[in-house]
Amino acid sequence: MRICLPISIKSDFDGYQCLIDIYNEVLDAESDTIDFSFQNTKWFEANLAAGLGAIVELIENKGKKVIISDIRPQQQDILQRNGFLQKYGYSRISHRSGTIVSYQTFKPNADNLFRDYIRNELLSKPDFPTHSRLLGKKITESIFELYENARTHGRCRQAHTCGQYYPNKNPKRLDITIVDMGNTIKTNVNEFLQQPVSGAKAIDWAVQKGNTTKTGKISGGLGLSIIFEFIELNKGKIQIVSSDGYWEYRKGETLKKDFNGIFPGTIANIEFNLDDRSSYRLKNEVSLDDIF
Amino acid sequence: MRKEVKRLKIQQIIGSDAAVATESGDKVFQEINNFLKNGFSVELDFEGVEIMTTAFLNAAIGQLYSGDYTSEVLNSNIKIINVAEDDKILFKKVIDRAKEYFQDQKKFNNSANTAFYGS
Repeated sequence: MRICLPISIKSDFDGYQCLIDIYNEVLDAESDTIDFSFQNTKWFEANLAAGLGAIVELIENKGKKVIISDIRPQQQDILQRNGFLQKYGYSRISHRSGTIVSYQTFKPNADNLFRDYIRNELLSKPDFPTHSRLLGKKITESIFELYENARTHGRCRQAHTCGQYYPNKNPKRLDITIVDMGNTIKTNVNEFLQQPVSGAKAIDWAVQKGNTTKTGKISGGLGLSIIFEFIELNKGKIQIVSSDGYWEYRKGETLKKDFNGIFPGTIANIEFNLDDRSSYRLKNEVSLDDIF
Repeated sequence: MRKEVKRLKIQQIIGSDAAVATESGDKVFQEINNFLKNGFSVELDFEGVEIMTTAFLNAAIGQLYSGDYTSEVLNSNIKIINVAEDDKILFKKVIDRAKEYFQDQKKFNNSANTAFYGS
């Protein structure tokens, strides 16, 4: 079966809808091989390799083979540099000095490997903001909160991550995408509230401070709100795709929409503003004496 | 009589400078809980921990409110040291949240429903 990807796939509602369409098209395919053809594709945002990689995982879990064909040189170069094409027979090109944050998968208990990934792929990059140690730390903290959220709530077999620097954009930005194919936010929230809520409303509920679907001895309801508070100050952007829900926050505005069809997991994409000059120093010092 | 103080090096317990995973936090909680139960005080030393998440702290610290410990008991038996200035706010958020969460878990769950559905 041959699936022709569109001319352009970006990290926006239409781009994610395209990934959902691809997934739903191949879901019940009878053929043993799925060929993703890039012949028409002139633009494929590199961080979305995480989403495509997660879809490939599902296809392969059904015992089918995936091939990538007709890829144009520019897309091939980027997807070879970030390592996405490696498993499809393309060699890996070194990306040490580049703007690539490589495509990787992580098993649920691999937090040290994920730490190394963040250290090697982000913190050591020449373009990573060195003017503010705190900004770098806040970015890292947000990524870990997101990863931990995907790991624990999604209960996924593995997380797919990928990113991209845009040092020539104004402002400079870093996009990072984490995808898990475990339980969707909609499933978890509906189960918790015991009422049917749309995908977008479920995400909106989950990002509010204090809301959590955890019910055991470990409290929750802070991780997403910490990310959200930071993105607000950083003037960045966050997008969450889960089941049929789309939730986006940027520049003080929240966009909630529902997709046609479902994505069988959660895609979280964060766009960090690297030109952020905020100090991130706290106005009031917090004392740990008598903190309990 | 003053209690004996046990120092817990977080970095050693979790084997990493990244205190990020719920499971790592749970390991720390188990250590604290064991010492408190056996009549010791503890000093939690975060030296060398470079990055922390609320997920880790929910399990390590917030979980202390899941049992019988009161704030008074925790304040007089746990000392937290070598935390980066900008990470201290995470402790406050996690502790405030845990108090709220465990105060009346059931009531809280119901109020979350009410807040969402407005009825």
